[in-house]
Amino acid sequence: MSLELLLIIAFGGAFLVYFLAKISPKLRDGFAVFISLLVLLIITSIYGKNIEKTFYRGFLGLPLVLRINMLSWLFAMVISSIGSLSVIFSLSYIRHEEKTDFYYLMLLLVNSAMLGIVLTGDLASFFIFWEIMSWTTFFIICYKRGPALAAGMKYIVISIIGSIAMFIGVLSIQTKFDTLIISELSAKFASASPGYILFILITFGIGFGVKSAVVPLHTWLPDAHSQAPTPFSAVLSGVLTKMGIYGFILFFYFIIGLNKFLGLGPDVFNLHYILCWIGAITIVIPTFIALLQNDAKRLLAWHSIGQIGYIILGISIGTSMGIASGIFHMLNHATFKALLFLTVGAVEYRTNGVRDLNSLGGLAKRMPVTFIGALIGALGIIGVPLTNGFVSKWMIYKTLILNTHPFLAFAALLGTWGTILSLYKFVHHIFLGQLPEKFKNIQKAPFNMQFSFIILSMVIILFGILPGIPLKVINSIIGSAGFSTLNISIWGIASETGTLNTINIFTVILGVGVIVWLIFNGARQTTKVDQYDNYAAGSAIPEGKYSYTVSFYRPLDRMIRPYLKDFVDEFYLKLSEWTQTICDGVRRIYTGYVGNYVMYIVLFMAFLILIQLKWSVF
Amino acid sequence: MDRNQIGKWLKNPGKMANKYSFHVVYFCTGCGIIEIPPSITTRWDAERFGIIPVATPRQANLFLITGYVSTKTLKAIIRTYEQMPEPKYTVAFGSCPINGGMYYDSYNTIKSLDKYIPVDGYIAGCMPRPEAIFIGVTHLWKLIDMDKADGYKRYREDYEFYRENQEQLFGELDWPPLFKNKSS
Amino acid sequence: MNIIAMFISPLIALITGMFFLGIFRKIMARLQWRYGPPVIQPVIDVIRSFSQMSISHGSLFDFGIILSLTGSFVLILFLPIGELCPFTSGGLIAFIYLMLLDPLGMALSGAAAANPNSSIGISRKFLLSLAYEVPLLLVLLAVMTRYNTISLVEIVKIQASTGWAFGSWTLVLSGIAYFLILPAILGVRPFEVVKASQEISSGPIAEFGGKHLAFSTLQHALHMFVGLALFVDIFLGGWTLFGLLDPLSGTVWAVILGIVIFLLKMIVVLVIEIFINAVYPRYRIEQAMKYLWKWPTLISFIGLIIVVLAN
Repeated sequence: MSLELLLIIAFGGAFLVYFLAKISPKLRDGFAVFISLLVLLIITSIYGKNIEKTFYRGFLGLPLVLRINMLSWLFAMVISSIGSLSVIFSLSYIRHEEKTDFYYLMLLLVNSAMLGIVLTGDLASFFIFWEIMSWTTFFIICYKRGPALAAGMKYIVISIIGSIAMFIGVLSIQTKFDTLIISELSAKFASASPGYILFILITFGIGFGVKSAVVPLHTWLPDAHSQAPTPFSAVLSGVLTKMGIYGFILFFYFIIGLNKFLGLGPDVFNLHYILCWIGAITIVIPTFIALLQNDAKRLLAWHSIGQIGYIILGISIGTSMGIASGIFHMLNHATFKALLFLTVGAVEYRTNGVRDLNSLGGLAKRMPVTFIGALIGALGIIGVPLTNGFVSKWMIYKTLILNTHPFLAFAALLGTWGTILSLYKFVHHIFLGQLPEKFKNIQKAPFNMQFSFIILSMVIILFGILPGIPLKVINSIIGSAGFSTLNISIWGIASETGTLNTINIFTVILGVGVIVWLIFNGARQTTKVDQYDNYAAGSAIPEGKYSYTVSFYRPLDRMIRPYLKDFVDEFYLKLSEWTQTICDGVRRIYTGYVGNYVMYIVLFMAFLILIQLKWSVF
Repeated sequence: MDRNQIGKWLKNPGKMANKYSFHVVYFCTGCGIIEIPPSITTRWDAERFGIIPVATPRQANLFLITGYVSTKTLKAIIRTYEQMPEPKYTVAFGSCPINGGMYYDSYNTIKSLDKYIPVDGYIAGCMPRPEAIFIGVTHLWKLIDMDKADGYKRYREDYEFYRENQEQLFGELDWPPLFKNKSS
Repeated sequence: MNIIAMFISPLIALITGMFFLGIFRKIMARLQWRYGPPVIQPVIDVIRSFSQMSISHGSLFDFGIILSLTGSFVLILFLPIGELCPFTSGGLIAFIYLMLLDPLGMALSGAAAANPNSSIGISRKFLLSLAYEVPLLLVLLAVMTRYNTISLVEIVKIQASTGWAFGSWTLVLSGIAYFLILPAILGVRPFEVVKASQEISSGPIAEFGGKHLAFSTLQHALHMFVGLALFVDIFLGGWTLFGLLDPLSGTVWAVILGIVIFLLKMIVVLVIEIFINAVYPRYRIEQAMKYLWKWPTLISFIGLIIVVLAN
């Protein structure tokens, strides 16, 4: 199965779905699911192959290369699986909206463009696919109109700035090394000067940093992720942000090379160490901003920025366990962020669009599968043992502590506590507490939504108990990047400074849990009471008013809110206002009066003649 | 006290534990609550008997009706009593719960509390001193030993009687019946 | 050896935990010039709670308290008590994460009770945890960086040869900071904000009756045990006593004496904490957070800098 056939199926399928939708909606639904599952199957079947294929009649005379290796395979698996789950979820979510054909077209196009990005072997097609991904994302973000348009505009402006920076980088590489093929570039870069490498890293870094929302390029993410339709928010948070990470890994370790990258810059201010600190700031500040939010999707969106910080920290630290944990956390974050966004989508679908955390409550009794999905997703992000988040976080803490970076470890651990607070607020306000009267009769989520939750929850727990399955793939990736490989087994990681054995933890928790559960059931039986038979100091329960949701963390709120405004966002707004003022001022030369224009022409000619007379330039 | 007799503990640990660990609902029902703080503080230490006040009725097993009961308070008392888990004991202070006491001709007080919730014992005095409260507690222990402190069982078996009296007083009650009707 | 340790450790922890609760109430009473309940009063309370009926607000309500007690027992199995440490996978980092199961279970249970008092209690619990975790993490990072290991058993063994961590000049500031935040970890006054009886009707356990209350009391006992044991293991040398027991090492007597010395050290720390509990009233949650983020954080931060410079 060749790579160009895969891309043709992906892109062609998208357009075919659009045309089939004109015939009948059911055909469109079925075909969309079929195409995404077909792509997933094809990618699963090419595991382990290392293909590289060149087309010599490509774009503007440049050769276009398609290739796949372990890194691309892992990313392609993540893209196609989250994509197909999102399509399955959208089947019932989008049903009542208008322009659904356009939605499916754009969703499948985004997935295909992301596949294109990870399957290319040269920078020209990389850039082309990157651009396709950017503007198709823009279309879906603006799908719902209203405030989504403003969010989309913010996204596309910042994204274009990133793309321009990347384009400058691509042009510079083409003129300097005369080739854009990645496998050849790694040899050529060995002879480049550190200043040039720094320039390339900065230009491409801005491009990748915009997509993966590193502080200070993160300001588009909260608005865009919260205004997009929810299945697409899952794809955005889960997978799109990882495209920037793919770019970073590609550049740091496959093009520039491990030793050159780690040796950039003077001793204390190594570039990779500065990147670690940027990662640390990205972990702490957005996670604490997340716990002040009142909108479910905005909370999760701010959270995404925080978790990307972990991945950047892992990639930049420079040890083999660090990069392994970065890639593993990328995989994990895709699963649990997608799961959390999809649960919000299910709640939104059943309650007709209510997303405000202060109006929901107690839905665990009416939507049990959704609740369990959200709980497992929340436990995964927090990193409770037995979930895959625990393994990746364990790895990153170990490498930070044992390589004496305790302050970075402290920032990462502080991020975990911010995560606990904000995710608990999320689960508590939506699913626990008292059920409002108006939601007393809502039904469970439809089966296709429950299917996505079940699959993702099982992946989270499976990778938590048997982390060897993804770690084997990651081991071969870091081996090909030049690091020393880790000593992993199917259930854990062994090293001479402490082992992790998840089967141990799993059996202990299971064993003790069973014993405690038996003791619990052996004691006297309980009587079930409903939520209105509650302690209220002897009075009747006021209906609808007996839930504590507003200002859930009020003492913390009062202490840290003044420090947690989004300074970067305000800075950008001020910058745009300032630019607008200057441009308004410059605009005044267009008076509309032809006499003024003639005067400008005459004055400029006089100026040129003066220069010619004085210095004879021409 | 037979708190340290291992044989009795091994025979019926539930009954012995119910005796020696009275958690009192900290509900100030009437004028007698003024006698409770002295009895749980240093001078007349109630904690050596195992008595300690707790915050919610869900964690409690002793309910002290300390004084007269007005009709408004009776609603709260019934709700609180029904929220306590079984086995539970009620002790009333003074003569007001027995026959109305000082307020025998008031329109607003309950003359006979036993019609609305079952009472296990009464302690005489207007209000009883802490020593009298402790003697009452030791009498309650004896009653529990003889299996005579069965107010909660009476509530469960004769629930229709109590519910009828409550409805006669209040009209429509806004909480559902605690026990389902047994077929006669 | 491990199999026996697996069964003895939780038993020792449970019995000693209930004993600690008992002497807590007894010493508090004696400090207040009263007689106080007998030392086995918490056991009587637990037996009484088990014999009572209880209500349940649904399966999540039951599941939460089971998870909480499971988390406490699992922590005991991963903690070196004396020389017994049945499981060591993952080291101190996994231990810090396993300490999360406890409040999480309580939070799920309390929130399922649908009572705002429980929700307020849980939000205070998480805020207090965030507040004391900041200095606690700095302290633990200082210890792990100094001894260059992430395993608890290793940390105790290194102290056996180089002396108590509290006494070494690099770690004394971290030790002082840990001692300052220990009341917050154990939940004694002035940091008794989570189960504040008078303000929020005992917080998350407001709707717990019968067996739920019994499990909650057991969980409280174990939580106190784990909090004290962690301090003794990391800073006071675990089961070692300045190397006096080396002639006996390897025999069963060494294990038993090790456990006894460990428990004695814990009782000493517990009695100091009881004295602190007797003197102070209860902080409000924002006062508690401000205190915990001011002096202990500053001292542990300086301690961490000293350790990094000394390495």
